[in-house]
Amino acid sequence: MTPEQALLETEVAIEMITVVIDGFEVTVPKGTLVIRAAEKLGIQIPRFCDHPLLKPAGACRQCLVDIEINGRAFPKPQASCTIPVENNMIVKTQLTSTVAEKAQEGIMEFLLINHPLDCAVCDKGGECPLQNQAMSTGRPESRFEGVKRTFEKPISISSQVLLDRERCVLCARCTRFSEEIAGDPFITLNERGALQQVGIYEKDPFESYYSGNTVQICPVGALTGTSYRFRARPFDLVSIDSACEHCASGCAMRTDIRRGKTLRRLAGDDPSVNEEWNCDKGRWAFKYLTNRERVTTPMIRGADGELHETSWPEAIAFAAAGLKDKRAGVLVGGRTTVEDAYGYSKFARVALGTNDIDFRARPHSDEETSFLSRVALNLKTTYKDIDVADQVVLLGFEPEEESPIVFLRIYKQVSKRALPVLSDAPFASRGSEKLGAVLISDLSKIANLTTKSVVIVGERLAETRGAFSSVYELINKSGAKLAWIPRRSGEPGALAAGAIPTLLPGGRPVTDPAARVDVAAAWSVESLPTSQGRSTSEILLALNVKNLDAVVIGGVDPLDISSTALTQLLNSFVVSLEISHSAITAVADVVLPVAAVIEKSGSYLDWQGSPRVFEKAIADSLSRSDVRILSMLADEMGSPINLPTVSATAREIASLGKWDGTPVAFEKSVSEKITELGEKLNLKSWRLLLDLGTLQGGEANLAGTARKASAHISKARAEKIGVKSGELISISSELGSLELPVEICEMADDLIWVPRNSIGSQVIANLGFVNGQVKVIKA
Amino acid sequence: MTELTPRPDDLGLTAAAKANVPIENQNAKSFFAQLQGFWVTFTTMFKKVTTVEYPEVKEPMAEGFHGRHQLNRYDDGLEKCIGCELCAWACPADAILVEGESNTEDARYSPGERYGKVYQINYLRCIFCGLCVEACPTRALTMTNEYELADDSRSKLIFEKEDLLAPLRSGALKPPHPMAEGKTHIDYYRGDITDIKND
Amino acid sequence: MGLEEKLPAGFALTTVENLAGYMRKNSLWPATFGLACCAIEMMAFGGGRYDAARFGMEVFRASPRQADLMIVAGRVSNKMAPVLRQIYDQMAAPNWVIAMGACASSGGMFNNYAIVQGVDHIVPVDIYLPGCPPRPEMLMDAILKLHEHIGNEKLGVNREQIIREVEAAALAAKPTHQLNGLLS
Repeated sequence: MTPEQALLETEVAIEMITVVIDGFEVTVPKGTLVIRAAEKLGIQIPRFCDHPLLKPAGACRQCLVDIEINGRAFPKPQASCTIPVENNMIVKTQLTSTVAEKAQEGIMEFLLINHPLDCAVCDKGGECPLQNQAMSTGRPESRFEGVKRTFEKPISISSQVLLDRERCVLCARCTRFSEEIAGDPFITLNERGALQQVGIYEKDPFESYYSGNTVQICPVGALTGTSYRFRARPFDLVSIDSACEHCASGCAMRTDIRRGKTLRRLAGDDPSVNEEWNCDKGRWAFKYLTNRERVTTPMIRGADGELHETSWPEAIAFAAAGLKDKRAGVLVGGRTTVEDAYGYSKFARVALGTNDIDFRARPHSDEETSFLSRVALNLKTTYKDIDVADQVVLLGFEPEEESPIVFLRIYKQVSKRALPVLSDAPFASRGSEKLGAVLISDLSKIANLTTKSVVIVGERLAETRGAFSSVYELINKSGAKLAWIPRRSGEPGALAAGAIPTLLPGGRPVTDPAARVDVAAAWSVESLPTSQGRSTSEILLALNVKNLDAVVIGGVDPLDISSTALTQLLNSFVVSLEISHSAITAVADVVLPVAAVIEKSGSYLDWQGSPRVFEKAIADSLSRSDVRILSMLADEMGSPINLPTVSATAREIASLGKWDGTPVAFEKSVSEKITELGEKLNLKSWRLLLDLGTLQGGEANLAGTARKASAHISKARAEKIGVKSGELISISSELGSLELPVEICEMADDLIWVPRNSIGSQVIANLGFVNGQVKVIKA
Repeated sequence: MTELTPRPDDLGLTAAAKANVPIENQNAKSFFAQLQGFWVTFTTMFKKVTTVEYPEVKEPMAEGFHGRHQLNRYDDGLEKCIGCELCAWACPADAILVEGESNTEDARYSPGERYGKVYQINYLRCIFCGLCVEACPTRALTMTNEYELADDSRSKLIFEKEDLLAPLRSGALKPPHPMAEGKTHIDYYRGDITDIKND
Repeated sequence: MGLEEKLPAGFALTTVENLAGYMRKNSLWPATFGLACCAIEMMAFGGGRYDAARFGMEVFRASPRQADLMIVAGRVSNKMAPVLRQIYDQMAAPNWVIAMGACASSGGMFNNYAIVQGVDHIVPVDIYLPGCPPRPEMLMDAILKLHEHIGNEKLGVNREQIIREVEAAALAAKPTHQLNGLLS
């Protein structure tokens, strides 16, 4: 935290200090570094190692200035990035002091001695602080006539980061980031003197989930991303501010486009959310768009059972005929923008006349539905609450795997002031270890909750019956802050847009007549369906037994819901709105191509409930957003939803606003009785950040740093089965089995944990469920 | 306020006619003047014709003429282009597109790490200013004297890398192939590679 | 005269085609249509050193009615575009267009709101001539390439056949937004 932020956050008066820099007076809080005080005046001192979010290091020495305190000058120029301001300090930068200027020029010349002259091929060329500052503060000519030091180049320190050691200026930004911010000290400075270089440990590759940030903050081209290497130069990229579509953390992003193709994504700058960081998935997982074959033309299934390309009017007419006056449901998927989710929500109510709509393409429960409609919608917890929390409780939530930026925020407080963290995870994952999380087996172990505590629940809590009820009680009793952080970016927005069986947009309960009148008036329709609709699993069940005839499906992977989801669809009329060919389009009767994130504008809601708006990155795309296509479909069906554009939709959402009436009551559920396990083990799982997810397709370099799948069991259990660490075990259920190497860790003897969707461990496909009892034997 | 000058009724010839000024008879002088004119015409018949007999005779362009581009090669056939896109950067008409790619040990197109995988010049945008040539750090891009470029469609005037690459000299090998034994990209850059004999 | 358009396909038509082509290509009269710097080079082409008269095109006609070749020499601003089109429409068929120089061909370095990004947005162009501005030799080269076109032009039913083929090829062509690089 910089002193400026501290000033905002605490009410304690902060001592202000006035210094003179280059003859100008500036008053800054005590503790401010000279280099920042100069920035405040608009005086730029060249620097490489200094980064406002990292601790001062004074490694590069480029920021030397002449300093005098109380009339006594320092004998030599000082690094302005490590010296805090003092009273009566007079600073002379390169602008007014020849000593400082000469010192900076000398350092620059020194840094350039061994820096190769390969700017023409270097990825950083054109946006390189070294290039720029060599021009602004370097000497025009080099006096060096020797041979430059060379190293083997590039060496890959992980599959996604390459290191050119000869370009390194030893600023230690990367190593400091990894240690201070990410807590993954896999990268260090080795050797001393002229031989000093950045390196990795022999045994541990640089497999951090945040390694991409080191590439972004490297002030030279020493660290480069494998997938961007030599792809483009900064001057022919068009940069667009965007939002990350991967998780509900809500990172601000920058997307760099060249001729209609995303070439790279960088972390955007939003101090209240992601500061300046993002995770590797957000940074590098964008090739899903070019990986699978895009659907570009509408397709309908002919009498021969094959999909045939057709025109838009024909496809829309065919879809409308199959949906009109039929009993139909809507599966939205967790990746829609708020506007698209609103489109699905309105389409279900107005065009299909049903509340059978659900955004949850994952295991879910009625208890969760109730929790979402009563509790989750009205939460006001933010990142700031984590910053000032006295305790963080993680329930059904692995921050590093499921919301990496939330993890960074918690880790920041853990490393700064040893913030206590509790987690209900079955074993201490790498993330939990870094947080020093205390594992708890049930909620009754949570003590000392105050109004400053933050309880974070994840989507996996729906898999434990009664868990949401216990949390609800806990929060009511203690007054602690509650946050619901789902894994997917679209879920908070879809909930607010009413893409759930119990709610209309804005959190209006479908069972409340006043709420229905409210929405019906805004939509200019006479009435809205009155009864609570079906959830995802109920819709699929109803389709299977012919209680529903048709279904409209957005971006859904059936294997995220259940192993039988796809077969349940086979007997009904399926309208699929998709970007590329998928399991759903393979069985769909009508496939309508929609725009991918870079081709449309829209917004996501992050888990705090604040909108992350983004604009079209590719202006001349022919693809249309889901809401536009649904609007066309509704027109054809004769019950228009009047949402022709994304901006019109956003306006309608804004004018509708939030519900201020009484919300529905939370229906509590009772926890399940623990059944007798016998020889079986209780299966626990969650998804790893980097796994087989659809949106990570096509990026082999990213997949290369995914954590290896292994089954975790306790030592006693391992002995009982007779396996040692690293040996294969076979995990089986009635529906199937999988084999994984074993990893022994501290955990309960009756539990086994496996990753949910990694290579060799796709739990829903292999075992048929995510939570249940499995037989474990040595393979 | 000054008095407005009254506008004269008429000027020029009509005025002169009105004034009834006699026009001088110049016959005596003009006879010799006319002869002089015929003499110029007559002598021209014995002068060298200035007309350039294009297309039958194609006179060489001046040195440094800005014609069609060429992507040069090193003596052994490796491309000089390193795909740095500086030419595209320098281009004021945005007529050049370059996409770089890594050289691998199996597929080496240029010495060093990087080569230009895609190289396109749109000759309908190009203004032949030569800034790209100035920007090129390896002298990979130069301009030839070829100027007969007109064609009947836009797409035919977007030249691809294959159209722009210099022909292989005898003894040179078409890339991809490895660098000369024991040589680095620096040696190539300095021209320190074994010269291939030209016959 | 229009008679040639009525001939049935066969020996007679091809002979007439060759004859008409020979005559047309050797009596091209360009319309005076200089718009910018390219026009200076075009004037040089008309002068003694390059001598347009060698190709039977010594007169640049001020009236479009008497011209059958429009050399668009220079950048066409959006304001000039309708004028250019009108002049093209006033030219008697058969008539041809050369887009001379980068600006007329594609907008050149003036990729902005004021300049038509290629004169082919307004009139059909037969020959594109790169250069900024092109030398008179380059213009002569373009004209000779146009001569070749004109010499091989078809008439009557043969012409209709060609038009049908071109149309079919255009329909089957890949849309420009799906092409890569500068082609897009």
